[in-house]
Amino acid sequence: MRIETAINDARPRVIGALVGHCRDLDLAEDGFADAVTALLTLGAAARPVNIAGWLYVAARRRIVDKVRGDARRAALLAREIALEDAMGDVVAFPDPFPDERLRLIFACTHPAIAPDIRIALALSIVCGVPMERLAAAFLIPAPTLYQRLGRAKAKIRDAGIGFDVPERRAWPERLDAVLDALELGYAVAYADGAGALDADLAPEVRRLAGLMVELMPGEPEVLGLMALIELAESRRAARVDAAGAMVPLSRQDSALWDAAAIMRAHHLLDRAATLARSGPRQIIAAIHLTHARRVSGAHAPDWATIARLYDLLCALRPGPASETARAVAIAHRDGAKAGLAVLDAINPASITHHRGWFSARGHLLAELGQPDAARAALRRALALAPPPAEAAYLGEVMARLDGAVAESVPLA
Amino acid sequence: MQYMLMINEDEAVYAAEGGEALMAETLAAHMALAEALVAAGVSFSGERLKGAATATTLRWDHGKSSLHDGPFAETHEELGGFYIIDVPDLDAAIEWARRIPIPGKGAIEIRPVWPMDAN
Repeated sequence: MRIETAINDARPRVIGALVGHCRDLDLAEDGFADAVTALLTLGAAARPVNIAGWLYVAARRRIVDKVRGDARRAALLAREIALEDAMGDVVAFPDPFPDERLRLIFACTHPAIAPDIRIALALSIVCGVPMERLAAAFLIPAPTLYQRLGRAKAKIRDAGIGFDVPERRAWPERLDAVLDALELGYAVAYADGAGALDADLAPEVRRLAGLMVELMPGEPEVLGLMALIELAESRRAARVDAAGAMVPLSRQDSALWDAAAIMRAHHLLDRAATLARSGPRQIIAAIHLTHARRVSGAHAPDWATIARLYDLLCALRPGPASETARAVAIAHRDGAKAGLAVLDAINPASITHHRGWFSARGHLLAELGQPDAARAALRRALALAPPPAEAAYLGEVMARLDGAVAESVPLA
Repeated sequence: MQYMLMINEDEAVYAAEGGEALMAETLAAHMALAEALVAAGVSFSGERLKGAATATTLRWDHGKSSLHDGPFAETHEELGGFYIIDVPDLDAAIEWARRIPIPGKGAIEIRPVWPMDAN
């Protein structure tokens, strides 16, 4: 294994263990960084077999050095270390040590931390994604992100957010916060089909989700989220055309889909189903899996099934995104007129900034032969800052409307 | 760690019809909470405050002071009381905060108390 890979793998485990002792993310991160520097200066021959164990011991020494000036903390740490040393050889770092990583993820995505910074914090601390890459992905200037991450870390320290894996009865709320953060992170990474960001950040979010699957294999929504990510990844080669425009799901060339990734998603959802606790992420994954059936020869998506799944999703996760997608599925099943009626019944206050709603409305109006109204709706969608590939696609739809025939363009 | 749990709620529910019975219920729930804290071995203190109408605010502006009738901020929810509890971490504080009775609309603000031995 390459040394960088070994260090990356060790990172969440070691930082999690360190934080368990010093209860301070900054200290743990600094100690880890120092230990990595020390490790890299060793010659290849002198490299330890147990990288994680070595980094842990080296980092802890650095931390003890650092807090020496702070009598209270030094005493606390010394007591813990003495305790642990008495228990045996500290170099025998437990491996695997899942709780260390889990508690780090839970702390970073704690509901007491501002929702929009949780995933950045988790990616930065658990995966070690550099600040500049996070800033680029979340479209925040690096100094601002740095400041907000600093504020989140200070909140963890000063408000006494614990580094313990929450008790089981607190899981529904806490686990939801973890999964929401991952979902948001993946959505940000995946939003721009043609973007470089996507290739850069999506694998990191996928890695974190994979870690959750490994650590909490009995949680169906964790499996559902992973399945969702696998399905999104399976379409990577098909989601943008040669000109860089987005291709809607139902129009993608299924020959370009990654059948192995679809299979993995299938297995994940099967496992989730045996746990018999449904949830929104499993349902979204099931919808995407229904679309993915085209890979094995079905010509058109099974819109009746998809529409039924959206009914369920709207009950579990009401909101403009679910309701818009449901309206589109109904349009495919029962015709554009029926779909438009469902779309127009959505609470208007909830969709004023919802690009998907305007885009769907534009498509349905075009299909119903109302090009002017369709154009107005598509223009609203374009004004809501779509990523470049989606903007290119919406532009194409507009151009087609300007042609003699208002061809219907199905929307994923 | 010590946390202050600040109880902000709409006093109006206790002034409305049936408010007296509601207050009696709420106070009983507070007594039960205090007993639970004792039973769990959590050291704590707490007080109930008189209504916001009894508040007087001393306002400072760079050395100049003035007195005002009423609470310092005009909101629908008023600070009506507080607990200070000593628990291991924020999650434990949140758990206790959830058990504070709020019959109508309200909010519990959870703030760590500045520790005396830190700078």
